[in-house]
Amino acid sequence: MLRTTSSPIFSSFRGRPKTPRLIFKAFSVLLEDSPPSARRNASTNLTTLHQGPPTSAYVHLPFCRKRCHYCDFPILALGSSSVSNAPYEERQEEDDPRITNYVNLLVREINATRTCFDTNPNLKTVFFGGGTPSLVPPKLVSLVLETLSSRFGLCPDAEISMEMDPGTFGGEKLKELMGLGVNRVSLGVQAFQDELLKACGRAHGVSEVYEAIEIVKACGVENWSMDLISSLPHQTLEMWEESLRLAIESQPSHVSVYDLQVEQGTKFGNVYTPGQSPLPSETQSAEFYKTASSMLRGAGYEHYEVSSYSKEGFKCKHNLIYWKNKPFYAFGLGSASYVGGLRFSRPRRLKEYTKYVADLENGAANWCGDGNVDLKDVATDIIMLSFRTSKGLELKEFGEAFGRKVVKSICKVYEPYVESGHIVCLDDMRKEVMSDEFKKLVGNDEKKIEDHVRYLRLRDPDGFLLSNELISLAFGVISP
Amino acid sequence: MGSMYRASKTLKSSRQAAFSLLFNSVKPNRRDPLCVVGLHQAYGFSSDSKQNSREPPAIDLTQFPSEKIRNFSIIAHIDHGKSTLADRLMELTGTIKKGHGQPQYLDKLQVERERGITVKAQTATMFYENKVKDQDPSGFLLNLIDTPGHVDFSYEVSRSLSACQGALLVVDAAQGVQAQTVANFYLAFEANLTIVPVINKIDQPTADPDRVKAQLKSMFDLDTDEVLLVSAKTGLGLEHVLPAVIERIPPPPGISDSPLRMLLFDSFFNEYKGVVCYVSVVDGMLRKGDKVSFAATNQSYEVLDVGIMHPELTSTGMLLTGQVGYIVTGMRTTKEARIGDTIFRTKTTVVPLPGFKPVRHMVFSGVYPADGSDFEALTHAIEKLTCNDASVSVAKETSAALGMGFRCGFLGLLHMDVFHQRLEQEYGTQVISTIPTVPYTFEYSDGSKLQVQNPAALPSNPKYRVTASWEPTVIATIILPSEYVGAVINLCSDRRGQQLEYTFIDAQRVFLKYQLPLREIVVDFYDELKSITSGYASFDYEDAEYQKSDLVKLDILLNGQAVDALATIVHNQKAYRVGKELVEKLKNFIERQMFEVMIQAAIGSKIIARDTISAMRKNVLAKCYGGDITRKKKLLEKQKEGKKRMKRVGSVDIPHEAFQQILKVS
Ligand SMILES: Nc1nc2c(ncn2[C@@H]2O[C@H](COP(=O)(O)OP(=O)(O)OP(=O)(O)O)[C@@H](O)[C@H]2O)c(=O)[nH]1
Ligand SMILES: C[S@@+](CC[C@H](N)C(=O)[O-])C[C@H]1O[C@@H](n2cnc3c(N)ncnc32)[C@H](O)[C@@H]1O
Ligand SMILES: [Mg+2]
Repeated sequence: MLRTTSSPIFSSFRGRPKTPRLIFKAFSVLLEDSPPSARRNASTNLTTLHQGPPTSAYVHLPFCRKRCHYCDFPILALGSSSVSNAPYEERQEEDDPRITNYVNLLVREINATRTCFDTNPNLKTVFFGGGTPSLVPPKLVSLVLETLSSRFGLCPDAEISMEMDPGTFGGEKLKELMGLGVNRVSLGVQAFQDELLKACGRAHGVSEVYEAIEIVKACGVENWSMDLISSLPHQTLEMWEESLRLAIESQPSHVSVYDLQVEQGTKFGNVYTPGQSPLPSETQSAEFYKTASSMLRGAGYEHYEVSSYSKEGFKCKHNLIYWKNKPFYAFGLGSASYVGGLRFSRPRRLKEYTKYVADLENGAANWCGDGNVDLKDVATDIIMLSFRTSKGLELKEFGEAFGRKVVKSICKVYEPYVESGHIVCLDDMRKEVMSDEFKKLVGNDEKKIEDHVRYLRLRDPDGFLLSNELISLAFGVISP
Repeated sequence: MGSMYRASKTLKSSRQAAFSLLFNSVKPNRRDPLCVVGLHQAYGFSSDSKQNSREPPAIDLTQFPSEKIRNFSIIAHIDHGKSTLADRLMELTGTIKKGHGQPQYLDKLQVERERGITVKAQTATMFYENKVKDQDPSGFLLNLIDTPGHVDFSYEVSRSLSACQGALLVVDAAQGVQAQTVANFYLAFEANLTIVPVINKIDQPTADPDRVKAQLKSMFDLDTDEVLLVSAKTGLGLEHVLPAVIERIPPPPGISDSPLRMLLFDSFFNEYKGVVCYVSVVDGMLRKGDKVSFAATNQSYEVLDVGIMHPELTSTGMLLTGQVGYIVTGMRTTKEARIGDTIFRTKTTVVPLPGFKPVRHMVFSGVYPADGSDFEALTHAIEKLTCNDASVSVAKETSAALGMGFRCGFLGLLHMDVFHQRLEQEYGTQVISTIPTVPYTFEYSDGSKLQVQNPAALPSNPKYRVTASWEPTVIATIILPSEYVGAVINLCSDRRGQQLEYTFIDAQRVFLKYQLPLREIVVDFYDELKSITSGYASFDYEDAEYQKSDLVKLDILLNGQAVDALATIVHNQKAYRVGKELVEKLKNFIERQMFEVMIQAAIGSKIIARDTISAMRKNVLAKCYGGDITRKKKLLEKQKEGKKRMKRVGSVDIPHEAFQQILKVS
C-alpha cells in the first residue's frame, strides 16, 4: 500500500507522533537477518533518505492553449481565441486573470509551507512543468522564483528547468526567463510530421517546432531537452526514424522519448485500443523503442533511464532525484510531493486546490510525513525507481537497508532472466557477471553474493521493454 | 462445461416474488377449506382447544400404528415441479405456513437456491386427517421425500425410495415424459413401489394432459383413469393427491413386535447436535435412551435424541414401526454412519437389511488449493463437506505442477461443480480443479493391471507394453422430437455410441437407447444434444460395464516439460483431434510470457500437435512524470497480484482457470 492521499491530511501540525512504530514493525518482517547496527546507522541508509529536507521542487503551471488528445494531466485550457495568430509578445496572457489568480494561489501555497526540518538547505533543482509553463508571463514566473528563494533559498547554480511548447514563446520571452534563472528548457516537440501533430491535437505544426529550436539555440540555452512520443496513431517506422533523425540533427543535450500511453477519459482513450490499428501493434511499438535506443545511442546519447537520453553531463538533475527516491517538494494543481516519507498528491481541480491552500494556511492541512514509513513501500519504491535507470539497483546498499536475505531472493527470482539476458548483473567495477557465474553465486550464501554481485539492471533495450514484468517479480519478493 | 450450468435456473427470484404476492393475502391461520389438519390429534390437544399459546406438547407417535402411516417419494424429471408440489402438500397439512418461508422450502442449500435445483433429498413428516365420505375422519402420518431430478443425483433417488412404499411420479403437462421420468419410473418400479402418476403444471397454456396420459399408458402401462391432474402452482386438483396416497400406497409392512431393525438412509452434520442419522424403522420400535448397534461398523451408541422432520428436527422421544425420522447418538463423524447400514438394538441378533449398492464414481478430478500454502485449509474444508456429502470419494495426491491436493470422485459433472461451489461458499476455499477424467483400466504385457483415476499416474513410457485397456460405458436414454433423430444419431455415433433401441413414444416423440463410453458424454454431450435439438431433447444415463478400448495417454508439454495436471487419456482415434484442440485452447489461455512458450501434445515420445506463444514484446510504462509514481506503482502491484492467479510450471505461468477450462475438449 502506498501512503498516498489525494486529499489533504487533516491533522495538527506539531503533534506528529515521534515513535517510529511502523519502522520497527516493517523491520521485523523484512529484516530478520540484518544486524541491529544497520538499522540505526541512519545517516546513509536508504531507509532514512526520505527523512532529510528536500532540495528539489516541482512547480506545476497548468495552462495550455488547448488539451492534446492524449493528455490526462491536470491542466487548464485557456482556449485559442485570444491567442490567434498574433505574435507571441503581443498576446493577452500578460493580463489573463486566470493565470494571475493561479500564480497568486501558488505563491500562497509556497508561503504556507511549513516544514519540520532542523535545517532548510537551499534548493538545488526547480522544475516548472505543466501544462505549458511557457504560457505564463515571465513577470509571474519571477514572482514564483522569488517566493521559492525567500522561502527555501535557491543555490546560485541551481538547475531550473521549464517545459516550453513550440509556438508559445519568442526570443525575447526566453531571454527574460533566462534572466530570471531558467537554465534548462524542455521543448515539447512530440513529432516532426504535421499530420501526426494534427492528429494529436497539438496547437502547433512542424514549422513552429523549427522556429522554437532556432530560438532556443539563438538564445544560447546549452542545456535543453526535446520530448518525443512514439507509437502515435498512424505513425510508421519511417516517420519515427525521421523524427529521431531530425531530433538528433537539432542537437539537444537531452532527449525524452515517451511511449504513448492511451489514458482513460482522453480523446485517444475513447477511440483507440493499444496494439490495434491505427495504433501500432505491440511488436511495432517495441520496434520503435529499440530504434530510438539504438539511434540515439549511436548519436552519442546515454540511455540513462527508461525514457531519458542525455549527452555527457546533461542528465536532468531534477529527475534524478525521483529515480533515487529522494524527497522533493511540489507546488500547484495536482502536483505530487514526497516529503518526510509521505507521497502526497494535491487536488487536481482548481476549486479543491484553492480550498487546500486555505487549509494549509490555517494549519488544517499537512502534506509533510512524520518520517514513519512502511519499509516494504520504501523497498518497492526503490526497486521500481532504480530499475528505471541504467545504473540499476545497488545491491549492497539495498541489502544493508532491507536485509541480505531479500537480496538473495531477488537474485533467485531473476536467475532465469539473467540467463535470458533481460537482466544484467554487474560487479563493483560495473563489469558484467556472466549468467553461469551468477547462477553459481546465487546458490551460495548471502555474503558471497554481496561480495561479487553489486548491481542488477535491466538490459537496454530488451529488459527496459519488459520493465513492468520484471519489476513486478521483485515486488513479489518484497510482499508475496 | 455447459453440462454444469445446464441445470441452473435463473428465474428463482421472480418465482419467489410471485409466490409471496400470491400468498401474502392469505391470513396465516385461516385453514384451507379443502383440508382439515388433524394436528390436535397428533399433538394430543383436546379437540375444543382452538387457540393455545403454550408450547405444543411433544408429538405422540403412538397414535400412528403402521396402517396409519404412508411413506412416499416425489420423483420426476428435472424441473417438473417436485419441490413445488412438496411445498403445497406441506402447506395443505399445516407443516409449513402458507406464504412463509421460501418457495421450494426443502431446497435448503445455497447452491440449491441459487441454481433452483434440488441436490439433496429431503424428508418431511406431515400429519393429515383423511375425510372419506360417510366415514369418521382418521389421522395419518405421512412421510414425504423430495428427490433431485438431475441424473447425477439419481443415487439420492434410489436411497429415498428404499425408505418408501410408494412414489408420486410427477410429469410436466406440457413437456410430457422425459428421460429422467423414464429412469426414475424404473427405479421405483424395480423397487416394487406403488406409483401414483401425477400430471403437474396443468395451468400452463401449452399443457396437453391427454397426450401425457397416453404416453404414461404406452410407456409404463399406467392406468389413465388413475392419473391425477394438478397444478402445484395454483393448487388446482391438489385435494386429490393425499387421499390417493393413502388409498393406493400400502402402509409399511414391518412387524411391530419384532426386534428393532432400522435402515440408515442418510446422515448429515449439525453444528449443535453433531451427526444426525436419518432412519426408517422397518421392524420394532425405538425410544430415547436405547442402546443401538450399527451392523457395518459394529459400533454401539446410546440414542440421545430421536424425532421426526416436521419439517425441522422435532423430538418425539420414540419412533415406531414404519416411521421415518432421525436419531442423534453422539457419533463423532459421519464416517461412522454408513449409508444403507442396518441399526438394531444392542445385544439382539437381526438379519441385516439389503442396504444399497455402493455409489459408483463416474468422474474424477484433482482438487488443489489455489494458493499452495492453503493445503491445510482445504483439507479441513473437504473433511467437513464430505460429512454432508458422503457420495464424494477423496484421496490425497500430489502434483508436480500444483503441489499437494486431493483426487476426488464424483457422481457426475454437476455433482463436481456443486462440490466446488459448496467448498467456496460454505468454507471460503478457493480451489483449482484439474480436467475431469473417468476411471480406466490398463493391462500390461507382464499381466499386471492398473486402475487409473488420474491420467498423470499412467506412465507415459511404460516398462511393459500396454496389451489392453478398458473404459466405463453408460446406457443412455434420449427422448426427443422425431424431426431431430438424424442429427442425434450422428452425434451418438461420433461419440462412439452403439444403438440399442429406437422406438416411438407417440406420433411426435422418439425414444433412443445407446451404449456410450462414459468419457464421451461426461463433458459436453448434453450441451451438444441440446443445441442440435433446439433444447427439446432430454437425456439420462445409468452406468454399464467396462468395454475394451484403444486408449492412449496424451501428455501436454510446456517448453519440453510435461505438465502432470494437464495429462489426459483419450481414444487413440481421437488423440490427434484432441491434442490439437488442447494445444489451441492452451494457447488462448496462457498469456504471452517473457520467453517464447512452446506447447506440445505428445503420446509417449511422439509429438502430435504443437504451437508456440511468442514472447511478450513490450510491457513498460514510460510515463512517470513529475515524480508522481503512485499510479505506476499501483499498476505494478496489480501486476504482481495477477501473478498470484498463476501457477508457475518450469518458467511458464499458467492461469488457474486453464486447468479446468480446457476440459471442454471432446
Ligand atoms: N406453471 C407452473 N409452474 C410450475 C408448477 N409447478 C412448478 N412450477 C415451476 O417449475 C419450476 C421447477 O419447479 P421445482 O419445484 O423446482 O422443480 P423440481 O422438479 O423440484 O426440480 P429439480 O429438483 O431441480 O429436479 C419452478 O419455476 C416452478 O415454479 C405448476 O404447476 N405450474
Ligand atoms: C506534461 S507534458 C508536457 C506538456 C507540454 N505542454 C508539452 O506539450 O510539451 C510532458 C511530456 O509528457 C509526454 N506525454 C504527455 N502525455 C502523454 C501520454 N499520454 N503518453 C505519452 N507521453 C505523454 C509528452 O511528450 C510531453 O511532452
Ligand atoms: Mg426440486
